[in-house]
Amino acid sequence: MPAVQDTIDRVRKIDVDQYKYGFQTEIAMDKAPKGLSEDIIRFISAKKEEPSWMLEWRLEAYRRWVTLDEPKWARVHYPKIDFQDLHYYAAPKSTPGPTSLSDVDPELLRVYEKLGIPLREQEILAGVQKTDASELEEASDNVYKSGRVAVDAVFDSVSVVTTFKKELAQAGVIFCSISEAIREHPELVKKYLGSVVPTSDNFYATLNSAVFTDGSFVFVPKGVRCPMELSTYFRMNEKNTGQFERTLIIAEEGAYVSYLEGCTAPQRDENQLHAAVVELIALDDAEIKYSTVQNWYPGDAEGKGGIYNFVTKRGDCRGHRSKISWTQVETGSAITWKYPSCILRGDDSSGEFYSIAVSNGYQQVDSGTKMIHLGKNTSSRIISKGIAAGYSQNTYRGQVSAHRKATNARNFTNCDSLLIGDQCGAHTVPYMEAKNATAQFEHEATTSKISEDQKFYVMQRGIPEEEAIALIVNGFVKDVIQQLPMEFAVEAQKLIGISLEGSVG
Amino acid sequence: MNIHMTPQRTPTETALIDAFSDRLSLLPGDGTVMLKRDDAIEAIKSGLPTRRVESWHYTDLRRLLASIPDFDPAAAPKAIAPVVEGSAVLPVLNGVSSTKLPDIEGIAVQRLSEKLEDGSAAPGLDLYGADDAIGALNTAFVVDGYFVDIADGAELDKPIELQNLQAGGQTHVRLSVRAGAGAKAVIVERQAGEGAAMVSSVSQLLLDEGAEVTWLIVQEQPDTATHLAQFKAHLGKDAKLTLFVMNAGGKLVRQEVVVRTTGEGADFTLRGINLLAGDTHTDVTMVLDHAVPHTASTEVIRNVVTGRARGVFQGRINVHQYAQKTNAKMACNTLLLSDDGEFSTKPELEIFADDVVCGHGATVTEIDHSHLFYLMARGIDEKSARGLLVKAFVAEVIEELDDEAIVEALETRLDGWFAAHG
Amino acid sequence: MLEIRNLHARIVDDGTEIIRGLDLTVKAGEVAAIMGPNGSGKSTLSYILAGREDYEVTEGDILYNGQSILEMDPAERATSGIFLAFQYPMEIPGVATMEFLKVAMNEQRKARGEEPLKIPEFLKRVKDAAALLDMDMAMLKRPLNVGFSGGEKKRAEILQMKLLEPKLCVLDETDSGLDIDALKIVSEGVNALRAPDRAIVIITHYQRLLQYIVPDSVHVLYRGQVVKSGDKSLALDLEANGYAGVIGQAA
Repeated sequence: MPAVQDTIDRVRKIDVDQYKYGFQTEIAMDKAPKGLSEDIIRFISAKKEEPSWMLEWRLEAYRRWVTLDEPKWARVHYPKIDFQDLHYYAAPKSTPGPTSLSDVDPELLRVYEKLGIPLREQEILAGVQKTDASELEEASDNVYKSGRVAVDAVFDSVSVVTTFKKELAQAGVIFCSISEAIREHPELVKKYLGSVVPTSDNFYATLNSAVFTDGSFVFVPKGVRCPMELSTYFRMNEKNTGQFERTLIIAEEGAYVSYLEGCTAPQRDENQLHAAVVELIALDDAEIKYSTVQNWYPGDAEGKGGIYNFVTKRGDCRGHRSKISWTQVETGSAITWKYPSCILRGDDSSGEFYSIAVSNGYQQVDSGTKMIHLGKNTSSRIISKGIAAGYSQNTYRGQVSAHRKATNARNFTNCDSLLIGDQCGAHTVPYMEAKNATAQFEHEATTSKISEDQKFYVMQRGIPEEEAIALIVNGFVKDVIQQLPMEFAVEAQKLIGISLEGSVG
Repeated sequence: MNIHMTPQRTPTETALIDAFSDRLSLLPGDGTVMLKRDDAIEAIKSGLPTRRVESWHYTDLRRLLASIPDFDPAAAPKAIAPVVEGSAVLPVLNGVSSTKLPDIEGIAVQRLSEKLEDGSAAPGLDLYGADDAIGALNTAFVVDGYFVDIADGAELDKPIELQNLQAGGQTHVRLSVRAGAGAKAVIVERQAGEGAAMVSSVSQLLLDEGAEVTWLIVQEQPDTATHLAQFKAHLGKDAKLTLFVMNAGGKLVRQEVVVRTTGEGADFTLRGINLLAGDTHTDVTMVLDHAVPHTASTEVIRNVVTGRARGVFQGRINVHQYAQKTNAKMACNTLLLSDDGEFSTKPELEIFADDVVCGHGATVTEIDHSHLFYLMARGIDEKSARGLLVKAFVAEVIEELDDEAIVEALETRLDGWFAAHG
Repeated sequence: MLEIRNLHARIVDDGTEIIRGLDLTVKAGEVAAIMGPNGSGKSTLSYILAGREDYEVTEGDILYNGQSILEMDPAERATSGIFLAFQYPMEIPGVATMEFLKVAMNEQRKARGEEPLKIPEFLKRVKDAAALLDMDMAMLKRPLNVGFSGGEKKRAEILQMKLLEPKLCVLDETDSGLDIDALKIVSEGVNALRAPDRAIVIITHYQRLLQYIVPDSVHVLYRGQVVKSGDKSLALDLEANGYAGVIGQAA
């Protein structure tokens, strides 16, 4: 298990609460003044050279948002957010609109290099650096295919660069920033934006609709299998900014796309807000695979600082036999509140949710999914692995419902929690709602700690305690790790190890 | 949606608030009791719970309790035979206990109205949380019931049956039992009647060290009645409680089970069957607190849903921070037999201790077709085969009770229900 | 190599004393069998040697190559060369056996100041060892011990023992749950490990295993003490006459 060894090596190099991606970058920034008003929204829209319909859409959302109350959640606690004390727009000065990498601020490229993102085309063409996990191919079942990855990089509020655009265009795939899509493909954006997560959906989604600054847009036309993995890296750099990205992915009839999302933020002692909206639309026979490795800054060992990650992610299996699969590895953020969901509208459509949520320190995680069965013969599968350590609280909250007309709806849910230490909490709150006699739902959940027997056995073979725990935890989450593309799987295993660092007393 | 709004009072809320001032002079209680009643009516004034209150998510009481009957002092329920033959019966008729108290060795029985008058019932009137609407309703209006004290070491050879019978109108009853150290008893809580009554019934059970109690709740209200019930228990050191709940009636039913282990070695078992038919709504909500180390619990709930019935099971297991070595298991299985029926389940685990083994499972299914086919291949017609399988599905839970007289008595109730609804 | 002096140990949880003044010496190159009726403290002894925290040593000492190991954690003992073949090997879901072997072997190498094994060399060693024990490589791709039969688990333990090249091997009831064919294979595996610089301690209830792994010394454990020691004939004597005679003498 090379990842674990590597994890331990890395962990030994850093302090207990030192966050791996906690560096700040000095880049000239173009910022909107603090606060939120119709004028700020006009400013954002103008900065992005948006058509008037988009501005109207935003303003409508904003007018709705001011009538809404900030939600209070049972399991998460944090001081009230002052929405007027945030910047809603921050962009590196060299943008907007670099046409090639040479236009991008070299400092920015260095940021991505530090993050290990394969941004430069030559790096990408050379393929993502192989880890020795692949050497073990014959020996282990830990086999993933490595491939090329097209990257859209989002820095604070704007998308900086998208690679591999040309090659994708040849296949008919559109992969660009959402701002560009609004300008270049307004008919597609108009048709689909807000069709899965309406502007009125919830407090943070409404806010996002008003102020979203960038994000990715993917359109895979009928019958096309996207020739490579698409990936977006989000990074929050500027102080007191909120990041409100908006992602829209459409897979037409018979299309396939796999999309990866990675997130980091610098280490700061104040809290920063991240409120994204992601909408996925799968038409007949289409399949979308959406993977996230979320590693926003979690706050320090005393619980100071960190990102509030309040995200609305929803996929609409609009077509028959369509499939949407969410995989997430959540290790970062001070507070995570997200429920990537599937609306199984088309007959024979299916939804999947695979999740690993690791919490340590004073992190609070409230995450899960919703599987809404509307069409006939729809199926869903939920595998959730929660690991709580330190003083953290880790909640799985999931809803599975079969509506009256959803004959033969099937769901299987498995959520397991692991506790490390006696100061943390693990909670499981599933909601199962069956309104159709042919529905078959199965749910199972367990909570336990790492067995002393297992730990002793592993240590008896000479493996030190911290590594023994990382090994057992990585085994515990294996079912989910296997759902990730290889580059992410390796990164995810490392992150899990790093996140649990210091949890052994 | 979180749009600002100030809800208007519903006719039911208004009726309850008015009834409280009208009946104030009829409500027994010393100063402490009356203060608790005031607090309770204040809680009702702030509004009955809606689906936005997490513990009432599937039972929007404010909406479902559209109207309530008036109090009816003339209502005269008929006496009924106990579930288990030979039980000592303590009847509460139309909300009023009997003046004739039985003389049974090892137990002392008091009318609850007396304990309200002298204030000794006051501590039990506290609400267990902000969402304790049934507790509030009951505390505000309770007039009578029983207090049964089972002496230390007493082993009762016959069950005690606490009957709560109505014939329309409103009744608010409280049944309170203390099982002394090492005492052993079987208690049947019988909830039945006629007409469109609205009932609030709160049962309280305190188990001292080493006490062993089997408590059976047999709820067979007519499908016109509203039945809001709460069972609360504290389990002391090495105490053992087996709670069996059978819901087989009522138009709007909420049965809350609130249990706390307070002594090491305590062991709690819940066995429940919900037989749902017609256009009814039945909600069983359990909150179980493992508050000390080394305690165990298992819960098995089986539901059969027919007609347009809507069923709910919520089960929350809280394992407190120092409650190490807790062993808790919960299962909820539902047979959904009609296209118009619904069942919602929310099994929750809230765990703050790391050295525990906790799990839950839940399923919603149809009848297993291979089982059905097997029976039919042996010449049994489909209707009978289905009947057999459904009955077997719930009977399993009864058979685990391990006391022949009780198992037989409950199976009789089960047969009765299937005869009427099968 | 191993010297246990007046060892007293109890269960941490309830204070029950299990080992009550045990003395035992095993030399390099020696195969020692520890026998005794159920509940005599055999398995406890193996756990204490490996450093399980559920037991607390209250008196006496365990010397390994002349050094006390009481302050060492299980991983440190393992990398110093102590190996325990478990009576009930743990199942570890999600952790592929191969990955586990690689990490464990490299920990041993690290302790000896050696570089991690190159993948081809690692694979070769595992394949060779598996072949000797008649194990299918496909099994090693499965999660560690998960879904292994009783016999497969015991073979996997011996495989690990072979690959980790320990100096002191403790086999706890390795024969339990094995049919005669598996017993032969496992015994051959153990015999192949006999070496002048290696000591093997076999804990067993029955004499059966000792027909295949012939011990140099036999020790009878009863109520946490060695009540009788002898050569291999003692095992035969126990088989023929039971423990009663030996225990009777002790009591």
